[in-house]
This record gives sequence, structure tokens and C-alpha cells, in this order.
Amino acid sequence: MMFEPRRLHPTAIIFNVIYILKNLIYVIGAIVIASFGDGMFIYVAFGIGSIMAALIIYSILAWFRFKYSIVGDELKIEQGLIIRKERYISKNRIQSIDLTQGVIHRIFKLTKVQIETAGSDQSADASLSAVTFTEGEAIRQELKLRKEVLDAKDSEDEAANHPTIKVSPKRLIIAGSTSGSVGVILALFFVAFSEIERFIPEQAYDEVARWMMTQTLEIVMFLAILLLVFLWILGILGTVIKYGNFQVTRQHNELFITRGLLEKRQMTLPLKRIQAFGIKESLIRQPLGFATLYVEIAGGEVNNANARTLIFPIIKTQEIESFLQRLLPEYQQVPTTYTSVPKRAFPYYLVRTLFLPVILFVMVLIYLSNFIVVPIVLMILGALLGWLRYHTAGYHLDDEQLTIVMRDFGKDTLVMKHSKVQSMQRKQNLLHRKQQLATVRSSMLNNFAGRHAILKEVDVEEANRISDWFSLRGTFEHK
Amino acid sequence: MREPPRLKIAQDAIKAWKLSAALLMIIPWLMVVATFIAGKYLNLTIWFGVITIVLTIVLTYLSIFLIPKVRWRCWRYEVFDQEIYIQYGILVVSRTLVPMIRVQHVDTKQGPILKRYQLAGLTVSTAATTHEIPALPEEEAAKLRDQISELARVDEDDV
Repeated sequence: MMFEPRRLHPTAIIFNVIYILKNLIYVIGAIVIASFGDGMFIYVAFGIGSIMAALIIYSILAWFRFKYSIVGDELKIEQGLIIRKERYISKNRIQSIDLTQGVIHRIFKLTKVQIETAGSDQSADASLSAVTFTEGEAIRQELKLRKEVLDAKDSEDEAANHPTIKVSPKRLIIAGSTSGSVGVILALFFVAFSEIERFIPEQAYDEVARWMMTQTLEIVMFLAILLLVFLWILGILGTVIKYGNFQVTRQHNELFITRGLLEKRQMTLPLKRIQAFGIKESLIRQPLGFATLYVEIAGGEVNNANARTLIFPIIKTQEIESFLQRLLPEYQQVPTTYTSVPKRAFPYYLVRTLFLPVILFVMVLIYLSNFIVVPIVLMILGALLGWLRYHTAGYHLDDEQLTIVMRDFGKDTLVMKHSKVQSMQRKQNLLHRKQQLATVRSSMLNNFAGRHAILKEVDVEEANRISDWFSLRGTFEHK
Repeated sequence: MREPPRLKIAQDAIKAWKLSAALLMIIPWLMVVATFIAGKYLNLTIWFGVITIVLTIVLTYLSIFLIPKVRWRCWRYEVFDQEIYIQYGILVVSRTLVPMIRVQHVDTKQGPILKRYQLAGLTVSTAATTHEIPALPEEEAAKLRDQISELARVDEDDV
């Protein structure tokens, strides 16, 4: 399919207007609020009206100028009102193709197509904000790697025999209730509240405060718990909406992920693009035996803080093996035993987590000795975390793969293929050299310049083993 | 990574580093002068001035006379057909392995100070990291750059 330059669906104009408005909302909002009560309101309204009109005209023109086409192996995009831009993205450089359907998209049977390339430079990516769904699928088919092989096979079994794994609603609720998003929502809630606070008349505020004072402690506690439960349920709802109908399918050389109740998303991850596979067990989920599976790719969900791409939101740790066997056999050898760091490394781990609490302890001791309990609790937690990290840290070497387990708060198992490790570093400070320890850092490619898997204070002999494994000069037997 | 890399960087690097450290030390010495002037107008004790002078002298010795030499001694590199091996760091010694097939591009660069001593720095970038060999003789750097870019020329579509 090689087609003539096309425009986006006209709804794209609406999306463009909404997008720009979203960025302007604070400015406009501030002006509107400031102008309330003044006689100037009519002028402001007029001004905003004309800005809106200009915006809409601009968006229409921008839509008119935006054209895309597929030329040979490349996606070509022309855009720009005054400065004309033409961009070609080669099929070979595409990291992932996402189809996202928001609520408006679904009403009109449209989809957004996001094409990610490697690196953090977003301007090198392409995004088609609204095309018809069939068109979106056609584009994705067209830009797939090794299409000819796929076509031949697809005609036989037509997506029927591809292994697929879904998330059950029950699991999803578990995922939501252990997501730890209560904290996040709580923070958001307080931010929102401090914004709204300004608009609440002082009188009402005082009255509520007085009423609270007259109530017994039990009732206040009850209200607080009610609020927490409410936020918790909100968190569960958030997870269910985001990951509802989560489904991951293996299609030949690709992982195909669909998810979302309101906003539907389809992601295609070519296996060749996967830089590493990881298992994350957060502090809440680990004791319950649940984990999250993710992969590192270059490109992908850029707005996602840790820049990982989730391939399964929640899974029992015992089920990981069968999951990998069916969907990702390339990474199925997740080791069960790890070479851990030596005992003499423990003090380093402890110092790292105790450093801040101890400083806090000293400061509180001097200035606020009434509250000394707080830093003491922090110190205990810090020591515990240090021990947990020390206890978790370890590695395992196979012919073609290095696995490192580490922990920030949650336990993180990262499986790296030899061919995907970009560089390897060994670090030793003075004490390390005396104690025969070393820190090993292996770097991979992901969204933002690189992800580094760091194994701290491993025995120097083990560090040498890892680097021998990595070195291509042949002190090892693989390849 | 049992053995350190064999090659040392150009000995003139010490001179270049000394020169740039000396230029940088102008700032602390200006601050010393400023302390004396301020001390005179604000009637502070002479000890402020003495302390800043002593500190600045120690700093000058360290950064101009000691650190460049030690740093030079710690810098090692070696370029194999399959990979680049670099060691650097005085207190924290780092050794890095960069496979040739992962090298994305290689640059040489030269500021005015390095130029004065006919030196050039070499930067090797992978998709995820950047590595530097700071001071090599000009021709050596150019030769190495061409050699690495030749060795790194592998048709790889993984990234």
C-alpha cells in the first residue's frame, strides 16, 4: 500500500484546539478571574473570543497543511503553516507504534497513531492525532517490520493461533488496591484543595473548623478513614480504567498489547526492539506474591515517569514462567538462584540508607528534642531498607544473558541479553580496593539516553567474571 | 577487567591541565583580593584574610601541581578490534568496556588549550552512554578516530 498524501480526519482540528487551550487555560483563567467585577469584563470576553477565533482558524489551516503518506519504506509527514516541514521516518527506525482511542475518538470510530523512534527527542517522533480506525490499523500493518513474512502466515491462521494472555477483573482490582496510588491521589487531592481553598469563603471555613472541634476524636478519625477508603477506591477505579481489558498477544515477532476501558490503547512492540525484560515486585505486592512485568524499549510512553513499558500489570510470581514460555520465550530463563553480594558489602548498603536519617536525628536532637521519636523510627526503617537492599542484590550469568536483581524500594529483576548491553563499567573507590569489592554498571538503551543496571559492592572476582562475560575478546566461550 | 588498559594518554596532558587549572585559579585569587578589600572597609580582623590566603594556596597546589599529575597517571586506555577499554579516576577508579559494534559515533575535539599542546580529545558515543579519552597527540587522536569508526562500521539494525 503506497498511497497519496492524505489529511487527518477533520476531528483533528478539535483535538488541536483542545490541546492548545489546555496549555493556555491557566493564563486565560487568571485573566478571567482578575477581570471579574471590573467594568472591563466585556473587553476581556471580547479579547478571549477573538483569541479563540484565531485559534480555530489556525487549527483549521494547520489541519489543511498537515499531510501524511507512506512512500516506500518511509512514513512521510508534511506540515507547517509558514515554515514547511517534511519529515521522513524510516520503517527500520521505528521503535513502537501505538494506537490510542480516547472517548471522543471512540464516538467517531477514530484513533490516534503514535510512532516512536529511539531517543528522547520527541520532535523526531510522529503523531497522527485523528485518523479512522481502519486507516490506523492499515498504517500499522504497513509500517511493521518484515511485512512479507507476516502476510504469508497471517492469511493462514488469521490471528487465531496467537498466544494471548488477559488480566482477569479480580486481578485488576488487586492491582489497583496494591498500586500505592493512594499516596499519589492524596497528594493531588491536597494540591487541588489548596487551589480551591482560595475560593471558599472564610466564614464557611471557620464554621467547618468549629464543627470539627466540637466532634469527638472518634468521629474525626472515622471521617479521616472514610476519606482514605474513598481515595483508595478511586485508585482502584483509576487502575481498572487504565488497564481494563488488558490483553497481550504474541504475533510472530511482535508483542501486541491492548488496554483501557475509556481510553483504548493498542501498542505494538517489535521483539527486536526490546532492550531488557524486567520483573518489578513493589513493597506491597512482593509479600502477596504479585509482580509487574515490563520491558525496556527505546521510545514508548514518554510521559511515564520511569519510562518503562508495561507488558503485564499484575501476575502471580509463580505464573511468570508460563507467561514467558507462551509469550516471550526469548526471556524465559529467569534464573532462580543469584550470586549475592558478600557480607563485607553490608556496611556500605547500611551507610547509604542511614546517612540522611542520622543527620536528621542529630538535628532533631539539638533543636527539637521533643520529636526525637520521628528520626528514630526513620533510622529503624532506613536500617531495614538497607538490609533489604543488601539481601536482594545479586546477579546471575548465563551464556547470553545477565540478570541483575536490585532494589530501590520494590524488588527489580532485570534480564539483559549480551547483545543489548551498550557498555559495562566497573568502579572502585579506595575502600573498595582494600576490601576487594567493586560496583558494576551495565548500560542499556531506553527513552532517556540510557538505563543503567547497577550492582553495588559485589566481590571483585565476580565483577571480573561479569566483565569477562561482556568482553568480546574471548576469555569466555559464548558465540 | 582484571588488568588495567596498557596505553597512557599524552604526557603533555599534564601541561594542558596545569594551564587550564591555573586559569581557573584566577577566580579564587580574585576572591582573596576581594576579601582583603572588604576586610579593610569593614574593619574585620586580619585572620579572615590569612585563612582565605592559606586555603587558596592549598587549593592552588592541589589543583595545579598535584591533581594533573595523578590524574594523568590514572588515565589509561586501550583500543582492541572488538572493544574499547578505558580507565579513569583518582579516588574512585572506573574501568569501562565499550564494544565496537555498539559505537554509534566517534568525535575528536580540541579547545584552545589542547591546541596549544597539539593535543585532542576523543569522544566515543553508544546509544546509551558517552565515553572520553581526554588528551591524545593530534595525529594519534585522528588516527584512532578513523580506526574506531572503521571498526564500528557494522550493519546493525537492533537500535
